[in-house]
Order: sequence, then C-alpha cells, then structure tokens
Amino acid sequence: MSAPTLAPPAQPPVRPAAETRRERKRRERLEQRDAVIPVELYGLRRGTVTALTTCCVLFALFILAPVAWVIINSTKTQANIFESFGFWFASPFEFFHTFANLFRDIDGDGTYSTWFVNTVLYSVVGGVGATVLAALGGYGFARFEFRGSKVFFGIVIAGLLVPITLVAVPLYLAYAKVHLINSIWGMILPSMVTPVGLYLMRTYVELSIPRELTDAARIDGASELRIFFRIALPLMVPGLMTVLLLSVAGTWNNYILPLIIFSNNTLFPVTVGMGLWSQHAGNSGDQNLYPLIVMSGLVTIIPMVALFALLQRYWRGGLLLGSVAN
Amino acid sequence: MSAISLENLTKVFSSGVKALDGLDLDVADGEFVVLVGPSGCGKTTALRMVAGLETITAGTVSFAGRVVNDVSPRHRDVAMVFQNYALYPHLSVAENIGFALTNRNIPRRDRERRVRTAAEALGLSDLLNRKPAHLSGGQRQRVAMGRAIVREPSVFLMDEPLSNLDAKLRVQMRSEVLRVHKAIGAATLYVTHDQIEAMTMGDRVAVLLGGVLQQYATPRELYDRPANLFVAEFIGSPEMNLYEASISDDELVLGSQRVALGQASTALAPYRGRKVIAGIRPEDLGMSGAAGRAGEAAAALVADVKLVEGLGSEKHVLFAIDAPAAGASALAAAVGEAETGLLAASAHNGMARLDQGAVVRPRDRVTFRLDPGRLHFFDPDTGAAIR
Repeated sequence: MSAPTLAPPAQPPVRPAAETRRERKRRERLEQRDAVIPVELYGLRRGTVTALTTCCVLFALFILAPVAWVIINSTKTQANIFESFGFWFASPFEFFHTFANLFRDIDGDGTYSTWFVNTVLYSVVGGVGATVLAALGGYGFARFEFRGSKVFFGIVIAGLLVPITLVAVPLYLAYAKVHLINSIWGMILPSMVTPVGLYLMRTYVELSIPRELTDAARIDGASELRIFFRIALPLMVPGLMTVLLLSVAGTWNNYILPLIIFSNNTLFPVTVGMGLWSQHAGNSGDQNLYPLIVMSGLVTIIPMVALFALLQRYWRGGLLLGSVAN
Repeated sequence: MSAISLENLTKVFSSGVKALDGLDLDVADGEFVVLVGPSGCGKTTALRMVAGLETITAGTVSFAGRVVNDVSPRHRDVAMVFQNYALYPHLSVAENIGFALTNRNIPRRDRERRVRTAAEALGLSDLLNRKPAHLSGGQRQRVAMGRAIVREPSVFLMDEPLSNLDAKLRVQMRSEVLRVHKAIGAATLYVTHDQIEAMTMGDRVAVLLGGVLQQYATPRELYDRPANLFVAEFIGSPEMNLYEASISDDELVLGSQRVALGQASTALAPYRGRKVIAGIRPEDLGMSGAAGRAGEAAAALVADVKLVEGLGSEKHVLFAIDAPAAGASALAAAVGEAETGLLAASAHNGMARLDQGAVVRPRDRVTFRLDPGRLHFFDPDTGAAIR
C-alpha cells in the first residue's frame, strides 16, 4: 500500500502568527474582566457588600496578625519583645544583629543553618517523592480496572481518618525495629505517602484526561508506560503542581513526625529546632533566645510564601479541578 | 477472505445491558461499510470491539482470516478516527500525526517524510507546528484523519467523525473522507447515526437497532427493498408513509379506499383477508398529469391536504387519509421500544414530494397517482417485509 498520492485541495487562508506570552496574558486578563458583571448588578440589598467586605477584612487581619507580629518583633531586643507594644516597632532596631546571630551556634544545641538545610532536604525530597507516587497511583486508580481497586483506594483514604498522635508510639516502635529512627529516611519515607495527594491526582486524571485520548494512544501503538509519560503526564501538570506544593508545605511545617523520629540535634528540621530553643528559653531566661526564635520563625515562612506566590497559577487551577481547559 | 469478519459478535456489559446481539458482518478489502442506526443501537460498541477497546463477550473478530479477539489494540494494525478527534493537546499537528510512527521507532527521516505526505494530502502543510487548540473543527478532523492514514493500516475505523461539524462542513468533509478512502484503499468501517451519510458514502450499509442487525445491503437495496419496518422508516427522507391496511382479493383496502394491486398481489396471497402494513415513499406519490415517474401511474389515492411546504426545488405536501397510521405503534411493537414522540404527533399525516409546479393548496382534496409496484408491504406482527 503506497502513501497517498493525491493533489492537495485548495489551501485555507493562512492565519496570523501565534500570539506572544505578554499578549496572551493581556488578553486573558481582559477576558476575565469581561466575564464578570460588576458587583452593583448582583441584586444585593444595600450594605451587604460593605458588611461582607468588612467581615473579610477582619478575617484577613485575624489571620495575618501573627505574621505581622513576627515581622515587627523580629526587629526588637528580648526586653522589648515583652515590654513594648506588640504591633509596633521599638528602638533599638536590632534586626540585622539578630539575623546574624541566627547562624551562630548560640545555644550549643545546633545552628539554625543546619536545621534550615535539613528542612529543605526533607521537604524537597519528600515533596517530590510524594508527587511522583501520587501521580503514578492516581493515574493507576483512575485509568485501570483491577480487582480490589476500590478496596485499596478506600484503605488509603481511610488513612486520613487516623490522627498522627494515635500512631505516634506504634510508629516509633516500628521504625526503631527497622533502624529508621534518627535517620533522614525515617522522615522522608512517611512524607512521601499522602492520601490527599493520591485522591487529588485520581480526581484530576478522571477529569482532565478523556478516555478517548488513552484509547487513541493505545491504537497508535503506544505501550501503557509510554502513554503515561508522553500523553498523560504533560496533561497532569497543574494537578502535579498542586500536590507538590501541598506536600512540600506539609513536610516543611511538620512538627510531630520529626519530633518522634529524631533525637539527634543535627538532624532536626527548623520546626523541632525552634521548639528546642523555645524550651530552653523558657527554662533559662538569660540566653537572649527569644529574638532568635522570632527571627527564625520569620525566615522559615519566607520560602513557603515565595513558592506559593511563584506557582500560584498552578495551584489555583489545580484546586479548581476541571476548570483547566483541554 | 474478507479484510474484516465479525461472527456472532455479542457484547453484554457487566450491568446486564446487552449492547450487541450476534452481529454477523464481513467487509471486503477496500470496501467502505457503514454501520448506521439510532443512538444506543450498538454500532459504536461493535466498532470498539473491532478496535480492541472493548472486551468481547461472545463471537469473533477476524482480520484477513486471523482471529484477533485476544490481540491488544497496539498490535491489531487498525487506525481509528474518533468522534471528538482525541488529538493530543500538548503535541503539535506534526507530532500528533507522527505519534504512531514514533511508537514503532521508525527512523526520523522516514517519519517526517510520511507526516509531510499525509499533511499535504489533507491540506495541513501550513499547520504542522500548531497545537490542536489553535485549529478549527474541520482542521482538527483532518489532523485526526492524518494521524490514521499515516500508518497505512489494513483496517480503518471511524466513529461518527463528522457529527461535531456544522452542516456545510459536514458535506465538504464527506467527500474528503471518501477521497482519502479511495487513495488508501483499506477496508473501512464507518459508524454514523445519519442515514444520509450512510446512503451517500457506503458501498454497503448495515442497519442496527437494539444491538441486532436489521439489514446489510447496498444503499440501493435498502431503499428499494427494506427488510423490515424499521429499515423502511429509517432510510429515506422524508420517511416512508406507513398505514394499517388489509388485503381483499386483489385490492389493498386503505381506509375507505381501494387500490388495485395487479402483479404485486402474488406475494400477498397468504395475507388475503388479513391485515398488513402498507408503505409508500413520499417521492412515489405524484399528481395526475404531472411530470415524474408517478405521473401516469395506474392507481389513485384521494387525500386531504393539510400543509404545503415549498422548498423552491420541490413541494412537500402534508396530507391525511382515513387509514390509521402504522409508523410509531407498529415500530414499537416490532422492536419492543417506545420511540413514539414526534412520530405519534404526525399520526395520521402522510408526506408527498411533488414537483415544484404542482398546483396544490391546503384544504384541497387531491388525487395522488401511485404505482402499485412501488408499494411496500410488511407483516403487522413481526414487521418483516412481505415478498
């Protein structure tokens, strides 16, 4: 059978070149503005909008107050933290001095920099691992029918019901048996298992990858692995970003698990390290630790805020599952 | 040996629904076969079983004599065009078309050459770097076809590829599909619910209803000699006029009128004195003295005109006679489905297609002329054609 040798039909008119990124963003912004009617046309009673806005503002203030407190008080000396008004600055302005102290081994218990590096390690490796597992598992549950799939999925989700404090002691004993205590894998491995991530990815695959696409790929001769890597994965990216962010943030902020696993100071993440400082500061008041605690809090949240801000176009779309155009 | 051979193909879903019941079909090499029928008749299920995307409950699918029931779609050497195109959204047109070739590790130069040839054949050469999101519906359809033809398969499957296009584009693409089929020369199974597509495109047409094959014949045969009531009503637009009638001696008793049957009465001998269902196509009714094949025909039918639709090229005359209509209820009885709805609304009305010059107005009483040889008769219990 030879390749088709037909005269091509009349050519359709050539379209203009595809738009640049800036043009696309501008067009999207304008389209969004066109898609909503102004609030005046919602048909609400007078004062509703003001009332709701006030509530939202108050709620926002409530949430942001601790963050503001941290920012402001990281600039104060220990005495001023306790004595001056919490939500405004006081002299002397000690920000840079405290910041420098952060990286010295003040207490003999370990430095902030070690803890920070540990946190980054656990979060990145655990987060990426969680994303990989959630992607594979979510795709498998969504696209394949196998015996027991519903049961397995139910068991995984049921894991969400169990609070970690309940399993703390059994977890410790089990991990001790396999020498995972005081090992970084004792922290990373549990972080790679996320029922929420699995559920998110399964739902995302169901909504975003039409069955016809996998059918077409099978008919085109692709193996299942090929279909996953070449066809499904690129389409799963927004969902993957969401799971990545949630896993990284979850591991970054995790306190209980490292508390159980680690007794060696040099392996602590920042959460446990700060807890340690807190304890010492409570016991012996003249270590000048409080400014350090506040400062470390500030420094720790910055990477997370930056990450969420940078990747917001993904997690916004990802959490709104199914609103991603295909 | 036929290129595609379906024997007793049956599909029962795990919910108990029997989507396909004992389908026997064969497609010769290079033949274009259309599977047509209303929604839910099992045509898409049959196609997916041929593709390997659906498990087979009973029966066999064979390609050139080789049974492929247990062969995965990857290894069946079929190409499929989906209703929703199923293009890979993150790949360009060239990559979409070439995907199957990439999977078979065909060297890049060969692959690019074949992609370019296929794209040229379909008028896609300027669009090779675009993504599907930036294409129109017709262009996407052509990319889907390009993806199928570049593989030079032995079996071509198409699942209602034109149903997502607007009417004008559909007509254009119909000839495009046929042009491609002639060039490729592979056996093709084409699924559609549109009987016009079936009649214009198919070498042979298989009509399905409720998972059961009603008739498998050339379009001409389906039109001239429908095997049962369903095929008679399904093929031809406007639909055939069907009435409950009875046979008395050599005449058809249609309400208060009698139509002399002449030669047609031999096949009806077993039905003397019994009820039958009589059908006449709208185009087989003519006005006295008018041009057209029914103009000088022997028998006459008196009817009251209800409505006249002038199309410019012809007139559609909605008329009533006093014989009970057989369309919806007989259909339902014969196939056990309740597809009344619009059919019931036009219960006693028939349709005639007349020449544009015919003089006819609403509330007229007209005499139609018809050729008794063009009447169709069906058994009132089974719906089968009486021959």
